[in-house]
Amino acid sequence: MPSRRHFLAGLAALSLPRPSWADVGNPAFLAAAREPNGRYALFGLDPAGRDLFRIALPKRGHAATAHPTAPEAVAFARRPGRFALVIDCLSGSLRHQLDAPSGRHFYGHGAFLNGGEILATSENDIDSGTGRIGLWSRSRGYARIGEIPSGGVGPHEIRAWSDDILAVANGGIRTHPDRGREKLNLETMRPNLSYLKLDGTLLDQVELAPEWRQSSIRHLALAPDGQVAFAMQWQGAPGAAGPLLGLHRRGSRPVLAEADLVEQLAMDGYAGSVAYTAHGDAVGITSPRGGRLHVFDTEGQFKVAHRRADICGLAPGAEGFVATDGLGGLLRGDMAGLSPLGRADRAWDNHLVALGG
Amino acid sequence: MRLLLTAAFCLSLTPAFAGVEEVIEDHALPGTAAFAQAAAALDTAARADCTAPSLRPAYQKTFDAWLGIAHLSLGPLEEAGRGLTIGFWPDSRGMVGRTVAKLIADKDPAAQTPEGFAEVSVAGRGLFALERVLYDDALAGYAEGSYSCTLARAMTHDLAVLAREVDTEWREGFAQSLRSAGADGNTRFLSEREAVQALYTALSTGLEFIADQRLGRPMGTFDAPKPRVAEARRSGRSLRNVILSLEALRGLARSLSDAPIPQTEAAFAAALDKAEILDDPVFAGVADPVGRLRVEALQTLVSKISSAVAQEIAPALGVSVGFNATDGD
Repeated sequence: MPSRRHFLAGLAALSLPRPSWADVGNPAFLAAAREPNGRYALFGLDPAGRDLFRIALPKRGHAATAHPTAPEAVAFARRPGRFALVIDCLSGSLRHQLDAPSGRHFYGHGAFLNGGEILATSENDIDSGTGRIGLWSRSRGYARIGEIPSGGVGPHEIRAWSDDILAVANGGIRTHPDRGREKLNLETMRPNLSYLKLDGTLLDQVELAPEWRQSSIRHLALAPDGQVAFAMQWQGAPGAAGPLLGLHRRGSRPVLAEADLVEQLAMDGYAGSVAYTAHGDAVGITSPRGGRLHVFDTEGQFKVAHRRADICGLAPGAEGFVATDGLGGLLRGDMAGLSPLGRADRAWDNHLVALGG
Repeated sequence: MRLLLTAAFCLSLTPAFAGVEEVIEDHALPGTAAFAQAAAALDTAARADCTAPSLRPAYQKTFDAWLGIAHLSLGPLEEAGRGLTIGFWPDSRGMVGRTVAKLIADKDPAAQTPEGFAEVSVAGRGLFALERVLYDDALAGYAEGSYSCTLARAMTHDLAVLAREVDTEWREGFAQSLRSAGADGNTRFLSEREAVQALYTALSTGLEFIADQRLGRPMGTFDAPKPRVAEARRSGRSLRNVILSLEALRGLARSLSDAPIPQTEAAFAAALDKAEILDDPVFAGVADPVGRLRVEALQTLVSKISSAVAQEIAPALGVSVGFNATDGD
């Protein structure tokens, strides 16, 4: 918890000249990729998708989290990962390595809260299989300062809903690192979307109707007005998937959104990323399996589908969306279509992270 | 696997894109032309005589031709949901049966005009909806002049239109998109490798579809086999569909590769030999353990083709399966 002392220390620190994202060229996006030589790296990209920096990663990445002000990113390994890397984007050097405590592993996403002082990470309590949110203090060199229950099983993406409230996608799937990514509880899984305070208070929790209990809630996006979009991955019988996008306002029932039959089936029951546009007037989900970007309005009305093989990363762009794919493509997306911004000889990994958004 | 993928990327700079032209000329265009021709013949047959017994031979030929291109799920078959409209299977929610039954029960006037019928749910169009009308004992006894006769004509005509569109778009548009991959203004394929990648994906996905869906769905689990979900069992085509798909995919593999592909050839031959002697046309045998084992053996051989293709063709072309599509997180 941020104490008054921390807060004042933070204010004092702000008066000193400190490195900021401007010092690394004001990247608009962070994304991990596999390079042609088989190595992995994290890239900072400008709004037009050009490389600003490249930082080598020791293993395949999944997602990254950017500090709100300092040019510092936390890169998470693909789950089940035991470590996360705090990277100084100015020097390209490793500033800290976060090791999951004994009995825990990371699920691949994190979020900064409290003005960037606290890093929260989605984790698995391996023995019980219940979800945890690990809390780390940046001012104390990313020391672990505690953990709270995630409100469910298998938390995946987490987002700072406000500066002190975390939105958590509890995917509902129990895994054990000894058994890789094997899903241990598909018959009983109950995913949810939870809103937590950092003291562990569960403020709100959304569960879907029983017929969709095998729709694993895994990725999140936030609209400027506080609406939360959650993207799902179907774990039931192939071809029987329901909606893959949900929209939620705290205090209301979630709205589930789907495309027409042909397009819905084309998604193959799988949404890999979700994002709002910068204006918050539309929300998109991607399916690398179906090679699709589906765009909806914020009432959940399906608007349009665009195709691109292995598309997955999705973030707000200056206008519309920016998307990445496993073929190295970086694309601008809007209602009219997807158009290439650039192409690099690398395979972009699952997530494209927008900075300052 | 990691080493293999690395190798695949290292080789990606070698100019190995010659297979695209061969796929277009020797595989895709002959396939779409044959399907368009077969569907047109089915349409003509239906106009002359709409009754089920007289339409069945042309239906079988059309389905045969469809299997020559069904795996080309890129381009024209992807546009406007045509692939799914022509071949709505698997049908996990039982939509085809319900939609067709409702069309008939309501005597839905949508069947009166091509424009009207094009608005019907995809589950009520295409080969699988028509299969119900032609082969379901409860439906197939209709006479000239009945609603089902009108419906059969609407379905066959719709198929002919779809098939012609697919053929035309391949010849007049999509073939050129593939050829000009990486050129300025080609927003579909941003590099030559992307075109090869798309064709390779059709090959590997097609093989997976045979193993997981055409064979895997009726196999169900050992304790709960599901013979009744076999593809096109009403028209007696389940095994035939596997054989014709394997032959089509072998053709694609041969066209796509510049180099000899002995492992792939051997794997296709083994699976096709097994399929030819299976003697279980609609996989009814999966209901008993011995019969299920025989189908499982075929499934294993199809999976071995996938491995051979991944080891032999993918590295030579400098491609691999989807980085994100196969990650699953």
